[in-house]
Amino acid sequence: AKGRNSRRRTYRTIDLARMMYKDTMTPADVLNKWRGAEDEEENIEEDDEDIFFKKSNQEKSDELAEDRAIPILDYDELESKWSLEDNLEALRRRFATADLLKEKIEDSGSDDE
Amino acid sequence: MSAPDPKFLSFTSQKSLTARLILSTLTGKPIRVSQIRSTSTTPGLAPHEVSFLRLLDSITNGSRATFSHTGTMFHYEPGLIMGSIDGQGAIGEVTDCSLPNTITRGVSWFLTPLCILAPFAKKPVNVRFSGEGVITGATECGDVSVDTVRTAILPLYEKFGISTAKLEIRVLQRSCAGPGGKGGGGVVELKFGSQVRLPKTLHLHRSPGRVRRIRGVAYCTGVSSSNNHRMIHVARGILNPLVADVHIATQYDQAPLVSSGDKNSKSGKKTTGIGFGISLVAESSVDGVLYSADVASPSRGGVTSEDIGKQCAYQLLEVISQGGCVTKVGTETVLVLMAMGSEDVGRLRLGRDVVGTEDAIGLARDLQKFGASSWGLRDVDEDDSGDIIVTVKGIAVGNVARKIA
Repeated sequence: AKGRNSRRRTYRTIDLARMMYKDTMTPADVLNKWRGAEDEEENIEEDDEDIFFKKSNQEKSDELAEDRAIPILDYDELESKWSLEDNLEALRRRFATADLLKEKIEDSGSDDE
Repeated sequence: MSAPDPKFLSFTSQKSLTARLILSTLTGKPIRVSQIRSTSTTPGLAPHEVSFLRLLDSITNGSRATFSHTGTMFHYEPGLIMGSIDGQGAIGEVTDCSLPNTITRGVSWFLTPLCILAPFAKKPVNVRFSGEGVITGATECGDVSVDTVRTAILPLYEKFGISTAKLEIRVLQRSCAGPGGKGGGGVVELKFGSQVRLPKTLHLHRSPGRVRRIRGVAYCTGVSSSNNHRMIHVARGILNPLVADVHIATQYDQAPLVSSGDKNSKSGKKTTGIGFGISLVAESSVDGVLYSADVASPSRGGVTSEDIGKQCAYQLLEVISQGGCVTKVGTETVLVLMAMGSEDVGRLRLGRDVVGTEDAIGLARDLQKFGASSWGLRDVDEDDSGDIIVTVKGIAVGNVARKIA
């Protein structure tokens, strides 16, 4: 949960909406910037000067990139993630087995709109 | 050829090639795709991409594709989407699509984009996929299994006013990926009998609800059917504490036979496509919200069925935790239909990690390039899920063959 909160700040929807159609940035760059990845400075630099170099890098990565419907996942990591009780409890809200009191609150909330 | 013709929309690389081809066909705008694996040791279009172009050719009338010598560039001029019509690529109103044994992608790679085109066709689209390249299971290239297309993607069409009663995917022969991940020997029939004037738009911006039940299919081809039970046992062990209602069907098939090209063997046939896999679909309490996961054994083997079951269950949990009303598997279908559909503003609630993928951004840009309006993004404010609501305005491409509803 802590990770999610700290992530949210750099993860604003407005930023994505702004960058989504900027053709000077590749989708991968947009995502890096949006997620606030550490190499942000590097990215900005690249955007300014090295557009030509960046393009050739892009080609190289494209060579390996095929369309995937299922992303490549690290299953060991997933296993450890979903073995933790906290994570499971957080996910339990998304299942019908969650307690009913919460359900009522949520339902009335969504009906209001 | 040096200066690109302005009437062609230019794209580079093989990325989202099918999406671009169907958008081109739907909007009637010709495209030019260049730099297809231009730096690769196997440059140019891959066998599955050529097969897809052939398939497009057989269900449309008047489309034309011209390739460069190396195959790294091609022009595509779309024709009218006809469907399966006798004498125009179909026999007995069934279009036969024979896939060569060099294909590494699952048949879902063909089915998903084909289904997006099908509602806009003049006549029903019936395609029979056969040949030595049909892989019905999930693949290592990241294709979902045909079961997931059937149970998690086809139901999405109901929301667009496209009756799912006349949609059917029939798996006549199952197959996993063959040796080296290449080819299979499956046979799949798609019947898409619901053609509409204009798909309605979609309003899925409320809470995605909660997962009520989990369904799935475990499949084995050419290996002991006990693998099914082992996969199911492990997957249930993970999922049952969360939902009690878990039902996973089992499918056991014999390995498909394909011609071996070896004259010494008696029958001249060999088995291929041996393996196993599992597809899980979680259904939410809200109608039409489905989460799916897919894992199959790699063709080189060496993975136990317990691991496959476990991976699939964890993948499903991960997909559910991403939230939203449509998962990554279904976003292309839903967003393209919304953009091509009636001139209304549709709203769709998507998980943050579903919108924030290269595929989604690429799709947004492609749609804009083809003249669709750009997406609006805003946060969901009624709860703290962090989901994003994407608003899409349709451009009413509609079905040219059905001017009157």
